[in-house]
Amino acid sequence: MAEYQNLFSQVQVRHAPDPGVGVPDPENRIPDSGFSYWLGKIGDAQLGPVYLGWLGVLSLITGGLSIVLMGLVMWASVGWDPIQFVRLLPWLAVEPPAPEYGLSIPPLAEGGWWLLCGFLLTTAIILWWFRMYTRARALGMGTHVAWSFAAAIWLYLVLGFIRPLLMGEWAQAVPFGIFPHLDWTAAFSIRYGNLFYNPFHMLSIAFLYGSALLFAMHAATILAVGKMGGEREIDQITDRGTAAERSQLFWRWTMGFNATMESIHRWAWWFAALTVITGGIGIVLTGTAVDNWYLWGQKHGLVPDYPEVWGDPVPAVEPGELDGPLQGPPPEGMPGVSYMEAGNGFILPGTAAHVSFAQNLEVTP
Amino acid sequence: MKTLRRTATALAGGLLIAVSGCELPPVDTVQSGFRGVGMEHVQNPRTLEDSVRAVAQRVPQLASPPEEFGDPAPDGTWENVQVLGHLSESEFNRFKLAMTTWVAAETGEGCNYCHVIEDDGQVNFASDDKYQKRVSRDMISMTQTLNTEYAAHVGEAGVNCWTCHQGQVQPVNRWYFGDRPDPPAAGSMIERPQWERHYLDRNDVRIQSSEALSGDTDNRASLQQTEYTYWLMIQMSESLGVNCTYCHTSARWGDWDESPPQRVTAFRGLDMVRHMNMEYIVPLQDEWPSDRLGPEGDGAKVNCATCHAGAYIPQYGSTASHAVDWPALNQIGVAHAAGETTSAAMEDSDEDEESDSGEVSENP
Repeated sequence: MAEYQNLFSQVQVRHAPDPGVGVPDPENRIPDSGFSYWLGKIGDAQLGPVYLGWLGVLSLITGGLSIVLMGLVMWASVGWDPIQFVRLLPWLAVEPPAPEYGLSIPPLAEGGWWLLCGFLLTTAIILWWFRMYTRARALGMGTHVAWSFAAAIWLYLVLGFIRPLLMGEWAQAVPFGIFPHLDWTAAFSIRYGNLFYNPFHMLSIAFLYGSALLFAMHAATILAVGKMGGEREIDQITDRGTAAERSQLFWRWTMGFNATMESIHRWAWWFAALTVITGGIGIVLTGTAVDNWYLWGQKHGLVPDYPEVWGDPVPAVEPGELDGPLQGPPPEGMPGVSYMEAGNGFILPGTAAHVSFAQNLEVTP
Repeated sequence: MKTLRRTATALAGGLLIAVSGCELPPVDTVQSGFRGVGMEHVQNPRTLEDSVRAVAQRVPQLASPPEEFGDPAPDGTWENVQVLGHLSESEFNRFKLAMTTWVAAETGEGCNYCHVIEDDGQVNFASDDKYQKRVSRDMISMTQTLNTEYAAHVGEAGVNCWTCHQGQVQPVNRWYFGDRPDPPAAGSMIERPQWERHYLDRNDVRIQSSEALSGDTDNRASLQQTEYTYWLMIQMSESLGVNCTYCHTSARWGDWDESPPQRVTAFRGLDMVRHMNMEYIVPLQDEWPSDRLGPEGDGAKVNCATCHAGAYIPQYGSTASHAVDWPALNQIGVAHAAGETTSAAMEDSDEDEESDSGEVSENP
């Protein structure tokens, strides 16, 4: 077994690159392949041959363009200051349009970039999905990888496309950006009365944690029988041998039941796929059907009745005094500062734009 | 073995750097609500002790209050006194002197920070020529309003100039348009930080529906608005040095029934901040010289941190920041009626303070 690699293997074998099993239209493959010592440390040392095809090429172009555009919009938001760009990168965002724009196409600077980046990224992801599907078919495999990827795409589309469509505004979608998309998650939960009380969110979390548990159990089992060749699938097919028997006996001893060599992968596949399928259902119901999950939970006996620790509710409050309007759309301009023009929003302390702005102010107090 | 040691050293070093920004444990956690719902106050006792000690060390030495505050000074005692006419002469002087410490200490100018020195070396107390004096009058008036109309927030103790100014002519914690938090808050890089409106003219921070189902509510509060509310709340939490559950039930932020009473105090505080900014501070915009203005040309404004400065009670409840001993501040002041001889000076000031001239004649 020249290709045999193991995490604990100290030996890397060098030979002519293995082109793999014969498949139809191999002429589309990039024939170059080589070996990497460092890849050999974490997997197969052989790099390539890569099959790109037109789906792969288009996917890389649209995906790359989307990422570059995001970077440029973020860079513009700090006045093209390279130092601030690097320093503030985790907080920079490409924000979706404001709610006022509904589902219309806004100017580029007011959410149009978000729409464009999202369109390109979605195109790239869907092209990549077709690539996964056709490559699996070309190898005569099942299409399980493509369908689990489709489950993830479902959640992605719910967040950025399906739910905004149902709500009637792009503003509902997730911004691009490292912390901004996390802030969106927090805001989403707060706005809709605590997502923890959303039963589909609960299911999603259960499957997510379950996936991690199954992943750990499966990986640990196979590694544990590695010294009997447990991870060598070919050997296991022709001769179950002692590794498979031992690993299965281990689980029967410890919990009475064991998955089979095949069923463990169905467990893992469904747990992973259901994480995003149930998650997507939970998101798509939020705001469209349920507006406050905590109150929904109260209605359906999910939330216990907690005693009122502080009395009813608080001192010296006139009836209705604490009620008030919900946030409407933000008005134009700020009060008391009629001279302020819109568009100064890009000025950040410490940037060149900020300094020149402050200097201008000195000459025209 | 060498590689292993090197990796271990690098890991340990990285871990040290990662935790270097953290506070040293342990912190005190005090349960404040029903068990099991995470209602608890978190305080670092060492940080708290340091802050309290720092407050105690800054306390100014001022003249003690008299046994009796006395009757208002007879008409004609002063010229151009518009909001302190209810004071006796000695209390007036005690308060004026206190202000030189409370507000103008850092300048070392004493009375002259606000009052004009004439060519002959005499101080013209009646003159409104200095913007500092005109601003001070509005600030005194503002403090009187806070202590009389906002007892629900400032309590019986009230506030005085020291509460915010701490010897500085501009309180350290103030904000301008164009300020950006660093690191930035959600959405703040692209648009003007809209949460600032809640310190100015907007009462509507509410974003959660009071109905479970979307069909039963017309709530269209957006996620962006949720982030304004969220950031406002974070600013309040940082200003007061408390965590969210000081005021809220974590399972449901908007619910008043399960909220601690502190939340009502904070609610009235936001009302108070809006009143301070809109009625007193934003209108002073044109008084300030350009070096007192922010990057977008607006004057400083207040928020919770202006008084609280990281403490749940300003100055941790130090009596130095209370208004109890200061009749100048704990009641609404009246204008002092000028004597016959001062008509020239009054006319002089009428040009600046047209709206106040009527008040002078109405309040003898």
